[in-house]
Amino acid sequence: MPENTKAKDAAGESGLYNRISVLRAERGVSRQQLADALQVNYQTIGFLERGDYSPSLKLAFGLSEFFDLPIEVIFSTRPFQPLSEQVYGKSRQAPANLAKEQS
Amino acid sequence: MKAELVFLGKRVDMAPRTHRQTMVILIYAGLAALMTAFWLLDRWHTSGVYMIFATIIINRLFFGGYNYGGLIKPFNSRAPRTHIDPPPFLVLGLRLYRPEPDERDYRNDERELAQRDHAHYRAYQAISVVLVVVWFLCSLRLTMPRLTSFLPISADALMYGLTLAATVTALTLPQAILLWTEPDMPDFEPEN
Repeated sequence: MPENTKAKDAAGESGLYNRISVLRAERGVSRQQLADALQVNYQTIGFLERGDYSPSLKLAFGLSEFFDLPIEVIFSTRPFQPLSEQVYGKSRQAPANLAKEQS
Repeated sequence: MKAELVFLGKRVDMAPRTHRQTMVILIYAGLAALMTAFWLLDRWHTSGVYMIFATIIINRLFFGGYNYGGLIKPFNSRAPRTHIDPPPFLVLGLRLYRPEPDERDYRNDERELAQRDHAHYRAYQAISVVLVVVWFLCSLRLTMPRLTSFLPISADALMYGLTLAATVTALTLPQAILLWTEPDMPDFEPEN
């Protein structure tokens, strides 16, 4: 998902990295559904995902409760480690390099 | 902020910032042209008040902020008045029914409130500069009337023009700042 990668890689104007789009995609929740649950505008969810807005503590806790995860799993001041690296200890490789390795 | 403007039955996409910036430029150019035209017409003697009416209409149709119409949601986050009984205009044959508003159309969330406050802060600074210029002109007129005699228009007319421009700006600038500064709006995602 290019959008998720973008959101994960860029802290945006807020300087805060987040995993909202990844978590949302993982759970099949639309921006509108998440916005309704948190009582905010769907655009605010988009701005949060892009890192263009730093949420209030109330909203951050709301997100934490919604995804049932600690806040530090959702937000970070440093870039998140890619999941593949975190779980399997593998760094990102281009598909061309992988094909070479396999051959 | 709404991502779409309905004007004369046409839907205009206002999600990209460039579209909104173009609209702001066109509106301020239009207001400046109108103010100049009114000056040429009667030196704002009676037409000055029409500038205020024009500004109110522009807010209603394009900018919003003070009422239900326009791109910016009402600053006070209040629901618009709706009629339980048929509105009195029905008698006149003017069908001014308003659909029951959705809460999303008028309630500002925390991000929108923060942006609103910031826009007002910036607008306040700009309007203060105009007020300082008006005060300075008044002060010159009182203390050194000869200096103001060199002005191409009378000092009174200049002060009236500046005050009128400041009023128009005060009514529109916070909305214009919001429309100008808000980044491209995220795409709407239909519900799964």
